[in-house]
Amino acid sequence: MIRLYHVVKSYGEHDALHDVSLTIDKGEFVYVTGPSGAGKSTLLKLLYGAERPTSGKLLVGGVDVAAIPQHRLPQLRRNVGIVFQDFKLLPRRTVGANVALALEVVGAPAEQIRRRVPAVLNIVGLKEREDSLAGELSGGEQQRVAIARAIVNDPAVLFADEPTGNLDGGMAVEVMEILQAINLRGTTVLVATHDQGLMDRFPHRRVRFVGGRLVQTSARARA
Amino acid sequence: MKSTVWRTVRAVREHTYLAVVSTGVITAALVLVGMFAMVTTNVRLVLGSWERDVHVSAYLRPGGSADAHTAVMQMLQSRPEVAAVKYVSEAEARAWMVERTPELAPVLDELGGDALPASLEITLRDGHTTPEALAAFVGSIREVGSFDDVDYGQEWVTRVDTFLSVLSALGVALGSFIGIAALFLVANTIHLVVYARRDELEIMRLVGATDRYILAPFVLEGAAQGAAAATLANALLWAAHRGLLSRLQEVLALALGGEGLRYLPWWGVGAMYAAGMVLGVGASWGAVRRFLGRLP
Repeated sequence: MIRLYHVVKSYGEHDALHDVSLTIDKGEFVYVTGPSGAGKSTLLKLLYGAERPTSGKLLVGGVDVAAIPQHRLPQLRRNVGIVFQDFKLLPRRTVGANVALALEVVGAPAEQIRRRVPAVLNIVGLKEREDSLAGELSGGEQQRVAIARAIVNDPAVLFADEPTGNLDGGMAVEVMEILQAINLRGTTVLVATHDQGLMDRFPHRRVRFVGGRLVQTSARARA
Repeated sequence: MKSTVWRTVRAVREHTYLAVVSTGVITAALVLVGMFAMVTTNVRLVLGSWERDVHVSAYLRPGGSADAHTAVMQMLQSRPEVAAVKYVSEAEARAWMVERTPELAPVLDELGGDALPASLEITLRDGHTTPEALAAFVGSIREVGSFDDVDYGQEWVTRVDTFLSVLSALGVALGSFIGIAALFLVANTIHLVVYARRDELEIMRLVGATDRYILAPFVLEGAAQGAAAATLANALLWAAHRGLLSRLQEVLALALGGEGLRYLPWWGVGAMYAAGMVLGVGASWGAVRRFLGRLP
């Protein structure tokens, strides 16, 4: 599903990622871990095309993200889901409208949107809050809305950048349970985190970065 | 298209304040430019009437026969630059002078009946009243030999012409300045308005929206705001025009004659709509494109 070949990402003199080669198979749940500044977020940004590598090759679902032209990026992003630490919701729109946005963008018909949005909100346990304004929800609920938006198009892969970073323990566990459930439905999930407790509680393969270098990768965990 | 209209309406509902600010600023810019255009239009009318007022007085030699005068008049009327020729007899000239300056009547009586010569008052067509054209025309009719003197207020014509040239240059400079200031005002305000919606742009980009999809409602909103601003600006200018008419009627009648203060011509009103929409669309397009260029 995801292949990296000798990927380097430099900002001036500084290498944010240095000669990273990595393979993540379809349906895997992988933690990208390491201390702050290790290159976790940079790796995810390269994978969804927010940044371009300085050198090397990245394949996501067979698409060479490093070589994809700017006007083709929307196509790539429609096939991946992205979840951020700060949720990135539109607070003045309802929960349903925030989730529907990802469907509107791909030109989904209204009937499909009406059917799909409650179904996805049901998965994240927010079906009853569909008409609430996103800005009125708790942090944990907002992150669940963001996850719902990320999976509403049935992406093959889900990238989550510190999805529990702004949440307290209970809410973080809820979010991890949802991500795990999504993975069990066949979606490849890549979570950047440095929360050791959560990784121990929800054990999966870990790839550890330090100073932009991939220093350790554990074996694939059994489901 | 239906989806774009719906998304535009939703954006205006969600960001009503920003839409009002954008429309207000475009309105202010159009009022500024429209006011300048209205003033310019009316000043040009006044100056045009001054130019049309230029005429040539050709004083006939005394003792000429009526047939000779008629022949000269016909000759002049046949010239392409001449709009009209009027014969003014000695008596008419005297009556005209006495009417304007009654205290001169005894002096004229003392000088006798032919104190003021008969003349031909020649009105020229538009485009033939420049100092050069006038000088050429007067030079050519002097050669006819029927006139004692030919007068066209050379100094006045030259002054008016210089004044018109200076005013025209000032108008272009001031118009350009106002236009550029209006453009900056609108561009910077809409840039700030789009900046306030940057999260929305970023989120749409991240969920796979194309630039065209993101831009479309902004462009439509810009066009709608431009049209609304043009309507508002026209209403304000029309109100100002009516207000000026009622308050300054006497002064305006003196300055503009019977024509009164004019509102913008129909094409000027149309140009305001076009300018408003171009401003709204252009500024929105530019601001969104700039933000999209910075987004991941």
